[in-house]
Amino acid sequence: MFKDIKSLLEINWIYIFLLLIIFWIGEINLYSAADGNLEPWALNQFKRFIIFLPIFFFIIMLQPKFIFNISELLLILIVLGLIGTLFFGYIGMGAKRWIRIGGFNLQVSEFAKIALVLFMAKYFHKLNSEKTIGFIKALIPLIISFTLFFLVAIQPDLGTAVIILILGLIAIFYAGINLIYPIISLIGIALASPFLWTLLKPYQQNRIMIFLNPDLDPLGKGYHIIQSKIAIGSGGQNGNGFLGGSQSSLDFLPEKETDFVFAIFSEQFGFTGSMIVLGLFLIFFLIPILKSFKLSQVFNKLILFVLSFKIFFEFLINISMTIGLVPVVGVALPFMSYGGSSLLSNLIICALLINFMSITEKKRMFS
Amino acid sequence: MEKNKTSQDSIKILNRRSFIIIILGIFFSLVVAVRLFSLQILNFGFYKKKSLENKVSVKVTPPLRGDIYDSNKNLLAGNTSFYEFVIYKNLNKNYLKEIKKINSLIGLNLNIEEIFKKLKKFNPYSAYTISKASWAQIVEFEKNKFLFTSIKIIESKKRFYPYKNLSQIIGYVGSSSDSSYLYPKGIFHIEKGYEKHLKGSPGKIFNEVNSKGKIVREISIENPIKGNDLHLTINLELQNYNQSLLPISNKGSIVIINRLDGSILSMNSNPTFDAQIFEDKDNDKINELLNDSSKPLFNRAFSGFYPPGSVFKPIPALLGLQKNLINETTEVVCKGHSSIDDRNYYCWKKRGHGRVNLKKAIRESCDVYFYELAKKTNINDLANLATNLGLNQIYNLGLSNAQKGLVPDKKWKRAFLDEGWYLGETLITCIGQGYNLTSPLQLANLYSALLNGGKYPQPRINKNTEIEYLGKPFENHFQKILIDSLKAAVQEPTGTAFKLNNLHPDFVKIGGKTGTSQVVRIKEEEREDDLYKTKEIEDRFKDHSVFVGYAPLDNPKYIASVIIENGGSGSSVAAPIAHKALNFAHSLNV
Repeated sequence: MFKDIKSLLEINWIYIFLLLIIFWIGEINLYSAADGNLEPWALNQFKRFIIFLPIFFFIIMLQPKFIFNISELLLILIVLGLIGTLFFGYIGMGAKRWIRIGGFNLQVSEFAKIALVLFMAKYFHKLNSEKTIGFIKALIPLIISFTLFFLVAIQPDLGTAVIILILGLIAIFYAGINLIYPIISLIGIALASPFLWTLLKPYQQNRIMIFLNPDLDPLGKGYHIIQSKIAIGSGGQNGNGFLGGSQSSLDFLPEKETDFVFAIFSEQFGFTGSMIVLGLFLIFFLIPILKSFKLSQVFNKLILFVLSFKIFFEFLINISMTIGLVPVVGVALPFMSYGGSSLLSNLIICALLINFMSITEKKRMFS
Repeated sequence: MEKNKTSQDSIKILNRRSFIIIILGIFFSLVVAVRLFSLQILNFGFYKKKSLENKVSVKVTPPLRGDIYDSNKNLLAGNTSFYEFVIYKNLNKNYLKEIKKINSLIGLNLNIEEIFKKLKKFNPYSAYTISKASWAQIVEFEKNKFLFTSIKIIESKKRFYPYKNLSQIIGYVGSSSDSSYLYPKGIFHIEKGYEKHLKGSPGKIFNEVNSKGKIVREISIENPIKGNDLHLTINLELQNYNQSLLPISNKGSIVIINRLDGSILSMNSNPTFDAQIFEDKDNDKINELLNDSSKPLFNRAFSGFYPPGSVFKPIPALLGLQKNLINETTEVVCKGHSSIDDRNYYCWKKRGHGRVNLKKAIRESCDVYFYELAKKTNINDLANLATNLGLNQIYNLGLSNAQKGLVPDKKWKRAFLDEGWYLGETLITCIGQGYNLTSPLQLANLYSALLNGGKYPQPRINKNTEIEYLGKPFENHFQKILIDSLKAAVQEPTGTAFKLNNLHPDFVKIGGKTGTSQVVRIKEEEREDDLYKTKEIEDRFKDHSVFVGYAPLDNPKYIASVIIENGGSGSSVAAPIAHKALNFAHSLNV
């Protein structure tokens, strides 16, 4: 089940170092979001980090083979967890998104992303024989992706559901689906969008309308976007300095510790700081992927690629949301937004990435 | 081997696909970077401004208004503290209960429902005034202070007018219509006319506020700057004394000026009002005042216009001398009337004055002399001279409702009545009746002009203005004749105001001219007749009593202009009042 203790020497310490830097920036940012106080966010987030470290190293030390073996089981547990959330979930912000396990409120949908990727990796690994994958072979991954999407969407948490679906589709794309199918689907979605629009809840339609024109409702739903843009824009080239952000310290920015945490950062550290964070996340994204090029086992490659993509994708979506490039969809900024489930799931992902980056492939690794 | 090859191909596909996604990822990173560049670099100014607007609230602190003093540095208008109960909604959720409690406990008689309605929309961090607080109420409140967390007492400033007799000069202030600047704004008389001088400039407190309007910290304070003080030429003692001279039952006015420098020393008008009621917001009294048919707001010294009566006569006299129509010795025989065609114009003395020269005509106020002079007079020349001597002018003193009055000429009559000028009208204009309308202040200036030889100091009420001169000088010789005549009217036994010497022999000797401002035209022949006042005529048909005099006799300094509405003849009512006023001014040596 576990690797040899010596394998710790193979760990990509640069990657861990980057992770710590990003988390440290996040901590400083939460400290400033609370006007220079460790309470209520920075200290709490740090405690969580410490509590999660054993899990992190536990996963780093797992044998890839073991992960390979339990991937279907994990998916089944997640599906049960999502169904359980619907029935026994804890209601917050108008949705049932959390389930209470051992004193923690867990957002099962965050872990569904991991389980889905692990399942896909194993599925396509087993298919490892053909040039491109036809529609029939992609059917099971598609059904599973849509099932998870559906279970999360009805919570309702459309933002997370869309991310899950996109991760599933990216995995299928990466695994080598015939390009005809993605192209056909994109055209299909474009044609069906008027119909899809009517399926959205009024508040979701509202968010999209307000995204397109925040001034429709400057004090209501457009307020988030307007205030966030003011915070970021007023940061200027070098920012207002550490703890110098008036938008955040004066509470003009709602949800500043979660979805809009980047605005707090950017107001203080400006364009320069924003570019540094963007660069860090880009490197953080590319390190596992460069390793994936060197590997040949589909299971390893797919895990490294799609999970690394997940973190970077959420980073891009979150920032785009705060600068008004995409509608407000409720996606956390990895390692910087305050929140336990997001932190835990991203730590697990990083642990998996570190684990798979350190392996040396042997033939018949997963048979 | 075959299987191995396909596996190699499959890996190539995977790597190619990942490459596509990396390219896309970098592309979207660039989009984000460009967007950030646009927000933070290109539009930095725009968002910086928005951010500042978000966080800074400006609170205006009213300045103290400048004080107003009389010529002896007595305070005529100042600022005084008053106290109010205010409520801060944010201090207690149950603030409505507290309002009910204070209402019953202290007996404020509040309209609670209205307050509730207004409070609903009020900023929770700002003070909302519930009611004024009297000393007794403050004491009661302090005893029960522990019951209230959201209600406080705050001190504010209001205008303070200690002397009722000055209200018609000082005026009063009101709230500015600009709702963001809740500080007093002059709306009447000196308070209005000197608004810029008095108002000062407001201070500003720049506060950093959060999204709920709560003040987080003070950024900077600009202190308010008190308005400039204003020193008037008015003498408080004289003003108070003269007010007591005005008969309570008659409307009227007394003006005293210093003819040497143009200073207005007092301007009284009866009835008067108390400006303090506006500051105390005593609505009953304000309504009573505004509806008072005797118009107490109206200062008759400069807004009351009357036909001047015989005090006008020196003007046609001077014109006659200047135009060589008459000289010192020219005589007219007064048989009690003069006539043009079939129409008779009567002298007030039915029996007539007999042979009359200029000095006698002024001394005894003979109308026929002036009728005969008028027959040779050009009305336009008369109007020009009157204007040159201070009539027909607003002096820009900063007083409300000041008007020009009227000195008629042909052009005026054509324009306003669409009629030509009749010679008969020149006759009655020359004795100060007809269309003539002058204010007591204008008459005082007319005599200042005469005593100064034509070039006279412009009247002024602000002590700190330079003396400016108006008018053109006229011949010393003519001035001497006129002054001699005015002196005779009081000092010689046949003078219309000679009895002043018997009434108050100890008073300062004065010169001057009586007048009767005609209210009902048919009584023309009865003017100046002392028998007149014994007749039973309704008061409102009685003529206005007018007198303009000066003191001291030989070296004139003070000029008094008095009008008593419906007072009767000038000699019996206005002249004694003027004499007392001049005597008092002289004794004060202001």
